[in-house]
Amino acid sequence: MSAFRLSTWLWLSLIAAVGCGMFLVKYQVARLDDELGRVNRSIDADRDQIRVLGAEWSYLTQLPRLDQLRQRYLTLAPITRAQLGSLDQVPFRPGEAAEPAIAAQPTSPRRPSVALPGGADLVSAKPGASR
Amino acid sequence: MRPALDPQQNPCRPRHFKPAPCAPRPAEGPVKQLLDTSRTRLLLTGVLFTVAFAAIGLRLVDVTVLKDAGTKIGHAHVRPHVESARADIVDRNGVLLATTLEAVALAANPKLVVNAPESAHKLATALPDLSEPEVLAKLASGRKYVRLKRQLTPDQQYAVNNLGLPGIQFETVRFRVYPKGSLAAHVLGYTDTDNKGLAGIERGLDDELKTSDDPIELSIDERLQYIMKEEISTQIAAFSAKGGMGIIADVSTGEIVSLVSLPDFDPNDVGANDDNTFNQVTLGTYEMGSVFKIFNTAMALDDRVTTLAGGYDATQPIHVGRFTIHDDHGKHRWLSVPEIFMYSSNIGSAKMAVDAGAERQQAFLGRLGLLTAPQLEIEEIGQPQVPRPWHLVNTMTVAFGHGISVSPLQTVTAVSAVVNGGVLHRATFLKHPSDYRPEGTRVLSKQTSEDMRRLMRLVVERGTGKFAAAPGYLVGGKTGTAEKVDTHGYVKHELLSSFIGVFPINAPRYVIMVSVDTPHPNAKSMGEATGGWVAAPAVSRIVQRMAPIVGIPPVDEDSPEIRRALLVDFEATPGRKLAVN
Repeated sequence: MSAFRLSTWLWLSLIAAVGCGMFLVKYQVARLDDELGRVNRSIDADRDQIRVLGAEWSYLTQLPRLDQLRQRYLTLAPITRAQLGSLDQVPFRPGEAAEPAIAAQPTSPRRPSVALPGGADLVSAKPGASR
Repeated sequence: MRPALDPQQNPCRPRHFKPAPCAPRPAEGPVKQLLDTSRTRLLLTGVLFTVAFAAIGLRLVDVTVLKDAGTKIGHAHVRPHVESARADIVDRNGVLLATTLEAVALAANPKLVVNAPESAHKLATALPDLSEPEVLAKLASGRKYVRLKRQLTPDQQYAVNNLGLPGIQFETVRFRVYPKGSLAAHVLGYTDTDNKGLAGIERGLDDELKTSDDPIELSIDERLQYIMKEEISTQIAAFSAKGGMGIIADVSTGEIVSLVSLPDFDPNDVGANDDNTFNQVTLGTYEMGSVFKIFNTAMALDDRVTTLAGGYDATQPIHVGRFTIHDDHGKHRWLSVPEIFMYSSNIGSAKMAVDAGAERQQAFLGRLGLLTAPQLEIEEIGQPQVPRPWHLVNTMTVAFGHGISVSPLQTVTAVSAVVNGGVLHRATFLKHPSDYRPEGTRVLSKQTSEDMRRLMRLVVERGTGKFAAAPGYLVGGKTGTAEKVDTHGYVKHELLSSFIGVFPINAPRYVIMVSVDTPHPNAKSMGEATGGWVAAPAVSRIVQRMAPIVGIPPVDEDSPEIRRALLVDFEATPGRKLAVN
């Protein structure tokens, strides 16, 4: 008698659980389905937008137009031959080639050498530098 | 002793006592038959259910356990592939040249229109560019469908929607847009209102454009296209010419990186009878003039008819039948082969061709693809006009590019083969993958190609093409000036002045051709309208502008290595002619 009851309850609760699970999953699927449709519509809209923006970008970057804008607003010009060269065409700093001993010191060409009243040079008058 | 009792009648018989079962009585007759049938049916049903449940069970295991999550089990609601619009066309750097956009069009079903005059009036008020009588005529036509307006802005659509007219409907239409306007118009072509390709790539690759999801990549470079168009336009204006054209081709792949045919048209708005849609570069065929001396000299050198040390007597004009072949600005003396090329001597070239013979001439030009129409991705292809029959006089005139008409594109393809080491590549408007090197067919020897490069450099350094020189860059080339042909023969003052340049000439990468149609001499050109005066300066400027873009560094033209590499001993003495002839 009790064994019969136990198995009945077991099955009933299983059925209830499965039914409940089914119900929840079904609603979740419906919700996801709605969302999928929404996302797809927004992808479509975005794609159209991208196409339009791509066409507009291409239209606005027409080279004759860019050239006109450049002439009106910028002081830039196309690269000419004089601006091109290879690395070995770049000369050494004048001091480096002639006096390597001095060039080894961390002197910066940007620092102006200021003549002091005593006749000493400011750049060379650094601590540690032998006069 | 009491007799044993029948257990059944024994009142003291234990309750749990069960009489021994009697042996089952086998069913007999109709009962047996009935039982058999039932048993078979039960078995059959049982098997059926077992199989069905087993199948469902297996499928469940398959779907939930074995299949990975990525596999689509059912996609009723997953977006189906959108009906693809016509594919985009982009240039070799991915710049958009043609695309398809959607717009809303206004249409009507006149059968559903309630009050045609009122509807027409309201529509014409909302959309001022519609004419009321026309709309009324369409709405009263009694047809099932009329198109009222092709493209509505969102504002206009809102306004029309607000009118709430029955029978008026919106529909989404796709239309083709060319954001760069007329730039590369002749390559792109155009489409009709149903997005069917009518010219250029739009027509030639119509099927691919309809089916492809990815944009079609052209070999054209937008930047070079712009430079070409600007420079050729400058020359057209300076010489009050009718038109002009230009090509830049990659010598090692056959890719056309720029194609300009002026005057051009706007593919966004093509008139019904727009003459400017004519593609002069591929469909037009012209007598190219002295440019053909490139092929003539290459033939003579390749077939060992003569050598760079050889020469011909160009003192007297040649008389053949009723024709006279003479030199413009002739030197009237013996000329070496390099001199014939650099001064563009017709007499010398004709003699060279006669030495080679018509057969070899035809075979050589045929190998270079100049006697048959080329294969291209576009359908505007001109059929070359070749002399038939090929008389002696034809052999002579073909040597300097007369009596034979070919398209400028063919000429460029052939010149590419002459200078790139002798391998002919089919011209193409589609970009090759960066690692792809087409094989091509060998048409002349490496040595001949190198000799031709030296000769073409000589033309720019000391010959007829001096204006093509670009400081810092090594340009070689050949001038060509041909009188144009009409139905009555040559027209004296209508010239096609060309320059075909190769750059850099010591290791060619690009062939640049510029032709100007019917230039008129101007104040600066000293009465000249020849290729050297009209087209060569444009090539010089194009080279200087394009070199930084395509990444060709400037060089010192006077450095000893380059001098040596391009050296030609052209001042051969007439005495050596005896040794050759």
